[in-house]
Amino acid sequence: MCNPSGNQLDNVSRRNSARMLKQEFLKKWIMGLQICSASKKEMSILERKKAIKLSADLAMASTKNGTTNWSLALISNASKENDNKTLVDQMLGNHHSEKISTKRPSIVSIFRNKRVATCRGKKILKKRGGIRRAKKMASSATSIAKRLVKKRTQVLKRLVPGGEYMDELNLMEETLDYILSLRAQVDVMRHFANATPKFES
Amino acid sequence: MSSRRSRSRQAAAGVSRNISDDQINELVSKLQELLPELRHSRSHSDKASAARVLQETCNYIRSLHREVDDLSERLSELLATTDGPQAAMIRSLLSQ
Repeated sequence: MCNPSGNQLDNVSRRNSARMLKQEFLKKWIMGLQICSASKKEMSILERKKAIKLSADLAMASTKNGTTNWSLALISNASKENDNKTLVDQMLGNHHSEKISTKRPSIVSIFRNKRVATCRGKKILKKRGGIRRAKKMASSATSIAKRLVKKRTQVLKRLVPGGEYMDELNLMEETLDYILSLRAQVDVMRHFANATPKFES
Repeated sequence: MSSRRSRSRQAAAGVSRNISDDQINELVSKLQELLPELRHSRSHSDKASAARVLQETCNYIRSLHREVDDLSERLSELLATTDGPQAAMIRSLLSQ
């Protein structure tokens, strides 16, 4: 039996969770900004922009608490640069680098296992070549579509942090979550920018 | 015989799951709901092609990245002139 107002409840709960996500992001972002301004008193506009952007990205990634691959990849990529290491540590806590090292190897092993599976698949195809070849000629339109999907999937993998290590299903799930997080991040940043007064000198 | 062996090997090597078309389709339609370009169009035909959804997804992510960048730049200029961001922060927190 379907609850007639089930859809409304879905929307309300979605809006509530979006609002909570934004509030948590804002708190962490402000913390990051304060860490940045405490460490360096004089910053060029470009340096400040990078700090603002990095704090925002890290704040959004940290709201995930290591439950998504994209957030782990984002944090890990950021920690690779020496300039960022202190901010990452102070925003996320030193224990976070441990979490990353235990998760990353398994992502790599997924990728490795996937390659093994495809190689085996190719061997089977070669044995039953006759049937496969006939099917291929009949569905050239589908194969073009498939190639297009494959090409666009490659592009998507480069846009989502850590995408190159994900299988198709994981990539789609992560993309959904990543887009929702990005949207929340943009909303809060825009709100903040509009609320900040500008002093004309 | 050989097919059974290779199938079990695939299952063992498959930390990547056996992906069904249905699962992919469900995720594609969820993505479609999120994308501003595709959400309002197509009331009669149920869904856009996977290729189109992927293209719009990539475009959308790129535009979100650009917005983050532009907003960071804008904020950098704004915060350079104000004394401290506290006032704006409090206002933002209250308006959420």
